Amino acid sequence: MTTVQDFSGYTPTWCPGCGDWGIGVAIKGAFVKLGLDPSSLCVVFDIGCSGNMNDFLNAYAMHALHGRSLATALGVKIANPQLPVVIVGGDGGIYGEGGNHFLHACRGNHDVTVIVHDNSVYGLTTGQVAPTADKGMKSKSTPFGIIETPVNPLVLAVTQGATFVAQTFAGDVNHMIEMIKRGIEHKGFSLINILQPCVTFNKINTYQYYLPRVYKLGLEYKPEDQREAIGKAMESTVEKFPLGVLYKVERPSFTDQLPQLSGKTLVEKTYDLAFEAFEEEFI
Amino acid sequence: MKFLWKIGGEAGFGIMTTGLSFAKIATQSGYHIFDYAEYPSLIRGGHNTYDVLVSDEEVWTSQIAIDMLVCLNKDTYTLHKSRLKESSIVVYDPEMFEITDNVQKISVPLKSMIKEAKAFQIMVNTITLGASAGLLGADEEVLYGMIETQFAKKGEKVVEYNRDFAKKGYDYILEHYQAMVTPILKKRSQIETKLVMTGNEAFSYGAIVAQCRFFSGYPMTPTSNVLTQLAGWQEKSGMVVRHSEDEIAVINTALGASFAGARSAVATSGGGFALMVEAISYAGVAEIPIVIFLGQRPGPATGMPTWTEQGDLLFACHAGHGEFPKIVLAPGDVNEMIEMTAEAFDLADIYQTPVIVISDKFVCESHKSVPKMNVDLFSKSYQPNRGKLIHEVPPEKYLRYKISDDGISPRLIPGIKGSFYQANSYDHIEDSHTTEDGELRKLQVEKRGRKWDTYLKTHYKLPTIYGDITTATHVFIAYGPNKGSIKEAQKLLKEKGIETAFIHFTHVYPLDRQKVRDIFAMTKDKKCILVENNSQGQFGKLLAMEAGIEIEEKILKYDGRPIYPEEIVASIK
Ligand SMILES: Cc1ncc(C[n+]2csc(CCOP(=O)(O)OP(=O)(O)O)c2C)c(N)n1
Ligand code: SF4
Repeated sequence: MTTVQDFSGYTPTWCPGCGDWGIGVAIKGAFVKLGLDPSSLCVVFDIGCSGNMNDFLNAYAMHALHGRSLATALGVKIANPQLPVVIVGGDGGIYGEGGNHFLHACRGNHDVTVIVHDNSVYGLTTGQVAPTADKGMKSKSTPFGIIETPVNPLVLAVTQGATFVAQTFAGDVNHMIEMIKRGIEHKGFSLINILQPCVTFNKINTYQYYLPRVYKLGLEYKPEDQREAIGKAMESTVEKFPLGVLYKVERPSFTDQLPQLSGKTLVEKTYDLAFEAFEEEFI
Repeated sequence: MKFLWKIGGEAGFGIMTTGLSFAKIATQSGYHIFDYAEYPSLIRGGHNTYDVLVSDEEVWTSQIAIDMLVCLNKDTYTLHKSRLKESSIVVYDPEMFEITDNVQKISVPLKSMIKEAKAFQIMVNTITLGASAGLLGADEEVLYGMIETQFAKKGEKVVEYNRDFAKKGYDYILEHYQAMVTPILKKRSQIETKLVMTGNEAFSYGAIVAQCRFFSGYPMTPTSNVLTQLAGWQEKSGMVVRHSEDEIAVINTALGASFAGARSAVATSGGGFALMVEAISYAGVAEIPIVIFLGQRPGPATGMPTWTEQGDLLFACHAGHGEFPKIVLAPGDVNEMIEMTAEAFDLADIYQTPVIVISDKFVCESHKSVPKMNVDLFSKSYQPNRGKLIHEVPPEKYLRYKISDDGISPRLIPGIKGSFYQANSYDHIEDSHTTEDGELRKLQVEKRGRKWDTYLKTHYKLPTIYGDITTATHVFIAYGPNKGSIKEAQKLLKEKGIETAFIHFTHVYPLDRQKVRDIFAMTKDKKCILVENNSQGQFGKLLAMEAGIEIEEKILKYDGRPIYPEEIVASIK
């Protein structure tokens, strides 16, 4: 059995009170609960305060380019489908810079788990708006308020082919552990959107803001219904934030549909190809 | 013997298939070929041409002079009139246009033949293929055999239908122009099996030989065919081929697969390559092997998509922010493409860094015949060299970015029990954790930098010299895809009594300064001429920068067309 300690690397450098602390604890907690150890999975980090977890978490990892963590992670999964692959990034990286990759990773139902620190700002570059920011939010890059309406990652995921879509809150470690664990266990593309207060740069979406506005989905909620899920995901427009699994369906994952990957992984495979078979068409 | 056959007509009427069939009829009859197609960036309506140079010796390029022109419309004639001689044969239909010039006219009533058979317009291709085979003395069996393999997948009916039309063309010639038949394609007594391959196909085949296991791509002329070729081979090869959402995803996904331990590659052209550049830099600092195939076409921006140019060499050599080692290889022909592709995978693994294989539309999309035996000899003897890839955790503490004399550190396959590390895009210390410490940063910069030196000492290859510099009056200097036209020009110049040599670079970046200077020391009293398909002489600039060598005289062409041997000859005084 591993312990949280086995996954603990350098001491985090996040601001005191930042939601990332709780997320860091929850990720390690979920890994322990799943019986993983640092050699048995691959975490791909984006660039940001969130991605800085690369040095705080022990695991085979890539600290990829800003916005490209998801695209990078898909390659790891395809080459070695036996390795659980988890992506950790911010809403700027995953929904902004890497928005196109997010859309297409959902479509492919790639069997990876994306954990997004949704704080409505770019933390690491000191507080400019992220694409999740509410219309009108003022920041250094939008001194008169952001003109665009926010991206709705949950609706996007539910409608673009993700098969597991959950939301959780950085103020509730146990709930986060549960969501991350179930996301990794799910076979297919899983999104865990975590409402994460950035105490330094976002004075609006604070713990106090979220506490009265979040609520847990009850046992009566049926996550297989796509229309229900979209309805729940749309509640952010009226400042209500459902926590739990909004959507979960079964569909073959990307790598499940590649006959080349039945049996050995691309990494293990040895080939003894008959070159004649490739030459015929050129004669 | 050299004979240039050329067919032209409206785009969308099967010119490409007919051209390739003609090329294969030639190789199956025992000849060598090099072909070249021109087509606009649209699907229907523009003008397409396809030429095939047939020879009894190996050929590496096309030529200006046309020996036989097959006109499927009037444009073909007017556009190519200036390239015809009195002895050139012109196949045409007088119902479409008349010819008043002094050439060898072969009139074939294409339109009425089609009308009579109530066939689609596209069948004129097959008629002219038959007519061409007839006029050039090809064996009827070779012609029909070719049609059979070409249409086999579509069923016996389609095969028979096409055979009938080919026969119409063949018979028409024997009936009306028996006296003009020349034995250009006469079946030779001994025929060695040849492969008719484009540069793209050679890269794809090389990737198979090198046991590449993951390939991602996004279509872009002139390398789209690499994606489709490898995708089509997946069942046979076991490779996973992914058509990604954009070129940024293409390369980052390939880097993920490579990190996981699978040999990985991508292919693109200038615009797509530009999107990949940030990730090339990531591969540099995180030390992830990756092979990038870059087929150049005229830029800037969308440029002239279906034409040829060499405007991206300096961009490729300098692609990626920051300083990190990178290797650029430039094969000159199909043979070199197969072997250097496999070499690129080895170098990427050995040096754990990006390796770019650079080419251009002319080589990417032109077919060249290569003896099958030569290809087999290579593919059967090739063994991948994966460098310092390890499958077990070493007994001492494993350090992913361990400082070493050769600059290379052992690379552990992720997922192996008992260790972990990260492929870090931030600069890092030996165990891969991030650092901003100045001294530790310097150590890693220097470690990565030592890979240049190790490469130059261990795997760098000097240019090949064709001809004898000591007896030559003129020395050509070029890299990669210009090989064919220069070699041909050398032959033509020799016939005129001019002795030349040709220094051909394939390992273009980095260059070994001293060794390259030593070669150029031999050219002191010679007329050195740089030959490039661009307006700035980019390889010349690279030589100046890397080896301090300046070449004053240049033959540069940048109209989107390849450099022809005759053009090189004409500019030698
Ligand atoms: C290509 C590129 N553009 C910009 C940056 C600078 N940059 C670093 S982190 C970041 C945004 C971080 O915001 P987010 O992804 O939301 O993560 P957070 O810091 O909030 O966790 C930016 C723009 C970069 N590293 N790379
Ligand atoms: S800037 Fe914001 S997101 Fe970054 S560590 Fe500080 S509080 Fe957390």
